[in-house]
Formats: sequence, structure tokens, C-alpha cells
Amino acid sequence: MAQPSQEGRQKAEMEENEDAAITWSDETGREEGRLDEDPMNKNVGVGEGEKMVHPANTLEGDAESKIENAAMMEESGEEVQPFAEEEEEDSVVIPTRKRPEHIIPQVEIGDRMKEPLVEDGVQSKAESSGGGWGSSLGSWGMSLISSATATVSSVGHTLSHVVEKAEESLGILSPTELSAEGEETTQATVPTEEAGGPAGSEEDPVVKEEGVEVEGDEKAFSHGGAFGMLGKLGGMTASSITSIVQNTSKTVITGGLDALELIGKKTMDILAEGDPGFKRTKGLIHRTNTLSQVLREAKEKEEQRLAQQDEDSLAAPKAHYGLLFDEFQGLSHLEALEMLSHESDGNLQAVLSSLSGEDLLRVKAELDEIKSAMILEEIDVESDVVEEKDEKEQDLMNIITELLFQVHIGVTPDKLNRARQKADAWLKEVQEDSTPKEAAEGLEKEEVVKPEKKSVQDVHSLCIQSLAEVTARSIEQLHKCGELILHGADPDVSAMQRAASLTRLTVALCKELSVKSEKFASCLSTVGAQEKPEILNPLVTSVFLEASNSTMYIQDGFQLLLPILQLSHLQHSATPLAPT
Amino acid sequence: MERHMEAIWLYQFRIILVGDSTVGKSSLLRRFTEGRFVQVSDPTVGVDFFSRLLELEPGKRVKLQLWDTAGQERFRSITQSYYRSSVGGILVFDVTSRATFESCPRWLAEARMHGQPGRPLLLLLGHKADKAEERQVGRQEAEAYATAQGLPYAEASALSGQGVEEAFTCLAKEVYGAVKAGLVPAGGEGSGVTCGIVPSTVHSSEEARAGLRPCAC
Repeated sequence: MAQPSQEGRQKAEMEENEDAAITWSDETGREEGRLDEDPMNKNVGVGEGEKMVHPANTLEGDAESKIENAAMMEESGEEVQPFAEEEEEDSVVIPTRKRPEHIIPQVEIGDRMKEPLVEDGVQSKAESSGGGWGSSLGSWGMSLISSATATVSSVGHTLSHVVEKAEESLGILSPTELSAEGEETTQATVPTEEAGGPAGSEEDPVVKEEGVEVEGDEKAFSHGGAFGMLGKLGGMTASSITSIVQNTSKTVITGGLDALELIGKKTMDILAEGDPGFKRTKGLIHRTNTLSQVLREAKEKEEQRLAQQDEDSLAAPKAHYGLLFDEFQGLSHLEALEMLSHESDGNLQAVLSSLSGEDLLRVKAELDEIKSAMILEEIDVESDVVEEKDEKEQDLMNIITELLFQVHIGVTPDKLNRARQKADAWLKEVQEDSTPKEAAEGLEKEEVVKPEKKSVQDVHSLCIQSLAEVTARSIEQLHKCGELILHGADPDVSAMQRAASLTRLTVALCKELSVKSEKFASCLSTVGAQEKPEILNPLVTSVFLEASNSTMYIQDGFQLLLPILQLSHLQHSATPLAPT
Repeated sequence: MERHMEAIWLYQFRIILVGDSTVGKSSLLRRFTEGRFVQVSDPTVGVDFFSRLLELEPGKRVKLQLWDTAGQERFRSITQSYYRSSVGGILVFDVTSRATFESCPRWLAEARMHGQPGRPLLLLLGHKADKAEERQVGRQEAEAYATAQGLPYAEASALSGQGVEEAFTCLAKEVYGAVKAGLVPAGGEGSGVTCGIVPSTVHSSEEARAGLRPCAC
């Protein structure tokens, strides 16, 4: 890794502004593939395995590691393939840019990869035969992309075989040992994280797990899937499956994100069959469980974890999204909304079963119309609702109010607004604190009792808390809409009109969250500018992660309104169909 | 630290508050959960939520998840569907308004019809007890009615704070006793009781009180 070659340097420059994680993981894929062809180079591979920790840790394009990587490839006579960059142009992400859902998976990967790879360093035995396994998986992953979804089921089987085989041939540690070791290594790698640890190494599993909880929601974010899968890997380190999958993932990752997503979903299915503990996740994917149940379980897990935690290790109270979400009564509102939704659905079915012939067809068509009005078009945070970047912040609330008015149920978003204002207030405060003031100005203002500057952890807690609060309030808002639509809303507004407004409302809420999370992240980055990336990055990641989760909760809450709107349509339609 | 403590509870009880509009259910709940009296509150829409931890015995904490229902007639059908999943309930009337007291039989019948057998366990609460001058329903009369219906009776005032803690604690103990005696299933769908975490060490009541800070929101 001595002197970067000319070519390597060029490459590094070209990529300077791009995110290291994804490019790098792709390169690794090629590296691994090469290793297979040339077994003599294995040592290089192992050495690199250790090296990989660096780029994974750096969120921002780390030119240095870039150079190292490029140099590496140069050494081994591998030609740098320029097209790789073109391909990635779209998906490359700079932190604190829009669309958190795209950022997350990559940061996640950086994070997740760190673990298994470090593990590799420890188990060089496993690694030496693991190269072959990885590359075969890797190339298989690639071919998988091209053959797309058609072969999914067979792929799943192949994978389970591969896993079995790999396990045998590697003579690998038992899953529990493995995961235990994984944890140890994680702790060993980040000893400096003591303070940041809570959010980083300890909290992450739970946080990530929640990422998975909503992962079934495929419609929303395609990358969410991959990230969810990865989250799962981290989330259930204790479970045997996870350690297998985790182990698998370190090599599978080289096959690329898309392959991983595909594999991940299928793998979970197949692995789940023998493991009842996995049923929950499975159920999730198939959406047989209700969201509130899933969230509740996640929250309970966190509570359990807290309860089991040693008394002395609770030095830094951390922000846990699930607990906070419950504290803001988001869970209760979601649950009540679910009850309302299911009840409406029951009534709806009762009405439908009492109909026949043309009436039935007509009503069904009407209900379908409402349904299609409530399809959330891919929520494009860039283009929808508002265009002007500067104006959007003030406007969003107006839009939300306006849309609620259009729903015409006599509800104002006061609580939601307060939650937002609270978030804005602390954001402003933190930003003011962290921007160096003009000396004169500072004197004039007599800021004698200036509160101590907030730490990154404090800001992170605020971020998570605000996200949880805004989300809980949004869910509450949707719940209130549901209640009022069924009871006491103005019957002059049609269900169709409401459906359209509520759809836009949901988009606006999601937009709001996305804007917020960007602000939070940039605020976090500002405050944590002095921090090590190992401390800062997991915090930023978790903000984006929870923001993405928040969006999904809101969308799920929104979907629960469908039967309610449909029922209200029947109640108010010209023909007296609805039961009294 | 506090959050850590808050996470630990033995059971979570779902408690529903019902009663006529304007008897002060929301004020009562805000007094109980936030420790203060809120003068103006808009009529509740559908249902709202509050929660608080209570320590019933040393080291035995329960979390009360409080469902604050709308008293307004138009939300009646929403309220009805919540009885089923509640383990306890407080039927509130306003001691300064006889009409709200006279509605009680109706609320009671509804709770018994829509709830599950033996549930929710109910408590009758005469609210606004600080307004002695304007009282229209005497304590004895209300007590007699409660006894006849097999309910405990309590009086409280969100304004002065008197009796609030006691009323909720009374109901929570009632429910806790029923759970311990196996009269009410703990855990499971719709039981209104969620099993929580049993702390490995018994915490002192001081610690518990630290956890009972007023909600920040």
C-alpha cells in the first residue's frame, strides 16, 4: 500500500466527492473474484480485509483509502475499470444529501462489513477457504442480477446449500460462538466509542431491527430492503441464523446490493422455516402481523435489554426511537387506528356480503376507485408538493393545514405543529451554539449563562426524540382523521376527495420528515465535526435510519385509512347501504 | 437513568376513561400524568392517550396506559370498541351536574355489554369534588349507587389535585389483585394486560419515584 500509482491517484481524485462505501464495496467484489482466480494472492486479500475497516468507517469519500484500494488493484495487475463510476453515478450518495433511504443502506454496509471483516482477520483459517466460497457466491450473485427475479426460489435453495456447504467446509465456529466473537471484535475495534458506544455499538442492533420491522413495505424503498436485511443481520446477533447470514453476508456483499437484497429476502424465508423465532420477521415480510404489534415487540425487546443491562453501564441514557415513540403515544394511536381500520373493514365486508348483482359490482368499483386514489405514488421527495427549497419549510405546515382543511373534518394540526416547532427551536439553538459568534455581538447580547455546548450525543438524542415525536404526532393526526371521517365529518366532502387530500397529506408528512432528517444530520455533523468518524457516523446513520422508519410508519398508518374511507363512502353514498 | 427506570414495569394495564362530555376526563388525566391542571381543553376527538407508572408495592411497578375517550355522543361507537381491550375503566361524572350522574347507568350498561366477561374492572369517580358549593350529587348518594353496582367509589378534583392519585391507585390495585388472583388473564390479545419486565433486583421506592417525573411532552 506504499505509493499510490498515477492511475490510482487519478481514480481517487475522480471519486473524491463520492461516497467511499459503495464504490469500495464494488471493488472488493472484484478483488474477491480475482482472488479466486489467483489463489497465490490470498495473502493480499487477507491483508486487505483488515484495511477495509477504514473506508467502512468513513462516511465521506475518503480519498486516502481510495488511493490504497486503487493501489492495491494496481499491484495485482488488475485494470481499473472506469465504467464502474458511471454506473454508480446515480446511486452514489454524499452524506446529508436528500433521500435518506438511499444513504442508509450504504452507510449500513460500511458498518456491517466492518464486523465480519474484522472477524476475518481473527479467523484466518476460515478466511483462507472462505475466499473461494465468497467468490462463487459473488459471481453467482452477479448472475443473479441478470437473471432477475424469475429464479428467486431456486436461488434461495442454492443459498441454503451454499450456506450448509460453507459451514461444513469452513469448519466454522458454532453460530453462538461466532456471534459472541463478533460482538467482542466489534467492541475491540471501537474502544474509543465508550461515550458514543451506546448509540453506536449497543443501540444499533435494536435500532436496526426496527428497520427490518418495516422492511416488508417493499413498495416504498427498494434499497430499504437491502438495508433492512443488513439491519436484521446486526439486530439478532444472538440468533443462530443471523450469524450464518452475517457470515454469509460478508462475502455476499461483494455481489452487490441488489443481489444482496434478493438473496436476503429469500434467505430469511428459507432459514426461517426451521426457526420459530424467525417467524416474526417472516410474518412481517408477508404483512400478517400488524405494525403496532411489531413495533411493540421491538420496544419490548429494547425494554428487556435495558432491564438486563448492568446497573453501572447505564451511564449515558440513550435515545431509543421505539421507546420514545411509545412515550409520545404514537404506538397507542397506531394501535387504535388499527382497531378502527379493522372494524371498518369488518363492517365493509358485511355490507358487501349483503349486496349482489349490479349493486355489488357498482359498489366494488367505487371502492376500488378510492383505493386507487390512495396509492402513494413513489414518494419523490424532490418534486412533490413544493418546489422552492427555501420556502418549503414554512409552507409545509401550511400545506398540511390546508390539506387537513380539505379533508374537512375539523381538525387542526396543533400538536404536530408544536412538535415541529420544538424541533426547529432546538435545531436553531444548537446551530447558534456551534457557529462561532462575532466577539462584539456576543458581548452585546450579554449571554452570561450560556448553556454548555451540546455534545454530539445530546444532539443525536434530540434528533431521535424529534423524529419520534413528529412521527407519533403524524400518526395521531391520521388516527384523528380516521375517527372523524367515520364520525361527525361533513358528509358533503366525498370519500374520494378525502382520499386525494389524505394522500397528499401523507406525502407532505413524509417530505417533512425527510427535510427534518437532513437538517438533523447536518446539524449533527456540524456539532460533531471534531469527533471521530467512528463516533459521528453511526449517529448520523441512525438519524437517517429512524427517519426512514418514521416515513414508513406514517405510510402504514395512511394505508389503514383505506377501509375507513371506503366505509364512510358507503355510509354517505346516495343509496342507504351501510348498516346503522 | 430515568428512562432506564421507566422501562421496567411488571404489567401494563389498559385503563379506559368514560363518562359524559365535559365531566373532566381529560383534565383528570392530565393532572394524573403531568401533575398540573390544564384550564382549557378542547373536546376530545375519538380517543387520546396518556400513560404513567405507578408503584403498587415496593419494587412492583405497573404502567397504566390510559385511554381518554370522547364523551360526545357522536364518538360513542368508537368508544364502544375500546371496552373489549381494556382491563380497567373509570366511569367519571361531575358532582356539580346531576345529569352526568344520571348517565352513569347507561355508561355502565355499555361497558358491561361491550367488555369481556368481568372486564373492565370499573371504578366510579365523582369529579370536580372541590366545588362544594355547586355540588348537585351528594357523596352518600353516589357511594350508595356504586356499592349497589359493586363498584368502588372515589372523589377527586383535577383542579386541586385531591383524590386523583388515590383513585387511580385504587383501580390499579384492584386490577393488580385480579391479575395476581388469576381472575384476569395477563398478556394475550385483548386482555388489556401486558406483561412487562420483571426487574432482576428489587428497586427501592425512591428510585421508582424518580421515574415518575411528569411527562416532558
